[in-house]
Amino acid sequence: MSEAEIQYEYSILERSRKDPKAFGELYEKYFDRIFNYVYRQTDDEDLTADLCSQTFLIVLKNLDRYEFRGLPFSAWLYKIAGNEVNKHYRKEKKSKVFSIEELRVRELIEQASESWDEEIIQRLLNYLRDLPTDMLEVLELRFFEDKDFKEIAFILDISESGAKMRTYRALDRLRKNFNLKIKYDGKE
Amino acid sequence: MSSGRIAQHRNYVELMERHERDIRLRRIVKTFIYFLIIAALLIIFVIVRRWEEKKVDGKPEAAVVISEKSSSSRTLELNTIWRSRPINL
Repeated sequence: MSEAEIQYEYSILERSRKDPKAFGELYEKYFDRIFNYVYRQTDDEDLTADLCSQTFLIVLKNLDRYEFRGLPFSAWLYKIAGNEVNKHYRKEKKSKVFSIEELRVRELIEQASESWDEEIIQRLLNYLRDLPTDMLEVLELRFFEDKDFKEIAFILDISESGAKMRTYRALDRLRKNFNLKIKYDGKE
Repeated sequence: MSSGRIAQHRNYVELMERHERDIRLRRIVKTFIYFLIIAALLIIFVIVRRWEEKKVDGKPEAAVVISEKSSSSRTLELNTIWRSRPINL
């Protein structure tokens, strides 16, 4: 996200403090993304709709407290969404669910220069299913939501180096499991 | 999930209505809490005032003993412990 876009979003937030209706633009922009982000962690459409509403309500309620910290507004939004999901699981005393859409994984693979056959794609999907939740969270934000490590660290409330370590470990295992050359951040 | 299905859940009007309801509820709760605090302070004030009045009025009747301490003066002593000043006649 460019500086100009970040500043533009911040100006919308400033206007929303006086008139909450101005927040509609950001709502329309981020609703789908937050919905998909929450859905991947719940696999339940109605629950996702509730948690999504709750997320935006909390944002509206705390607009006055929002401070620009050099990160886009979306990082704050994702953080609140993640917290609402975690709150739900704590309340229900259940383990978190991670639902990675096969279609999205295939889309990501298609973007890569390698041509993978169906068997490898299935192995990759199985591999992702077996990954620990904390690694999946980081991979999801990095590759599905296109967040940088600073944002990931803010959203998950971990250090930036922690976010990088989890990502590199997951990719390292991927490389070993599939005997791949993975280009990441310009290095192989 | 398809955008069509997600769009079914998108409802900004409802979100704004919920937000305004929340604001109204918070205002009512705040007013009620201020009212409770003021009521509590008033009650404490009334209790303290009554206690102080009891302290001043609610003494047992003093038994008056007139004794002559010297030929030039008589001192009226009250055999109570609440009044510390003897009354000189």
